Amino acid sequence: MGKEESFTRIIKENEGVIFKITTIYTQNGQDQKDLYQEIVYQLWKSFDSFRNESKISTWMYRIALNTAIGQLKKGKKHSTTTGIDQVVLRQTENYDPEFENRLKMVYEHIHELNILEKGLILLLLEGKKYQEIAEITGLSETNVGTRISRIKQKLKSRILKK
Amino acid sequence: MDLEEIQTIWSEMSDQLEQQKKLTNELIMKMTKEKFRTKFDKITFYESIGAVICFLMAIYFLVNMDKLDTWYLLACGIFTVVFLIILPVITLGLLGKIKRMNIVKNSFKETIVGYTKAKNQLLLMQRVGIYLSFVLMFTCLPVFSKIMNNKDLFLQSRIWLIYLPIMAIFLFFFTRWGYKCYKNITNSAENILKELEA
Repeated sequence: MGKEESFTRIIKENEGVIFKITTIYTQNGQDQKDLYQEIVYQLWKSFDSFRNESKISTWMYRIALNTAIGQLKKGKKHSTTTGIDQVVLRQTENYDPEFENRLKMVYEHIHELNILEKGLILLLLEGKKYQEIAEITGLSETNVGTRISRIKQKLKSRILKK
Repeated sequence: MDLEEIQTIWSEMSDQLEQQKKLTNELIMKMTKEKFRTKFDKITFYESIGAVICFLMAIYFLVNMDKLDTWYLLACGIFTVVFLIILPVITLGLLGKIKRMNIVKNSFKETIVGYTKAKNQLLLMQRVGIYLSFVLMFTCLPVFSKIMNNKDLFLQSRIWLIYLPIMAIFLFFFTRWGYKCYKNITNSAENILKELEA
């Protein structure tokens, strides 16, 4: 299988992952599109180095999250919901407005976290084990555990407030 | 809504995204080839144009330095030239530092720390640049006047009576606003750094 073929297959398999990362790290549809393209570009650029890596998801999350950090805009702390609407717009069949509202609430809670916490909660929600989260983030496993329980507390208190 | 519900909604969304795959091979390869200009590319582009203008002005002043025949005009000339060369070099250097960050090898933590530090330095440099540019406005006016018209503005007090108070008022309000914006941005960045380096 050629390089282009392997690459497009990997991107297709993980397009949802890239989409979710761009949604939590951007404030509007245009920024989201830009970040999506930049992530694919960075993944392509480093695709050769990936061949030596052990796990594809570790490589992909690391580059996608690192790219998102570099693309962050200073300014608004709280996001608008434009980026979230993009997720909803993708629902063509079985459109469920109630699910849409709940999804918006999830994103609102995540958007209130800081850049590190956003990354950690994303990896946790994606079902990653602490060991892989540690590998991607560069934190120790214990540190990941401590930070995640703090994030859970933070989210819990915010949810209760609302 | 509790945390378990968040997890359930997230999984449901992931399943829906799985079913809505939109990318084609052509689209993916197009994204890898037609690289758009990132925000940093844009900043670097404009900063580079600014740097070229500054360097050309610095060369112009250097070539005509012999026309500055008093110690104070010469001092103004030297400050102007140094400012026009050093500031763009430092700014472009800091932008380069951000662009050179190795996102393949670096972990998420290293990227956040590196990016936040570089961004803080860049912001500090921009602030310093803004404050120094007020001094530049004071120094380059007499230098220009001497080189272009052979007039020593320091000997014409009327101009300074108008120019200096206006500049002082503008500087007072502008620096207050600039410092506040700078503190707001760097405070949140500092919090993340402290948390990560603890």
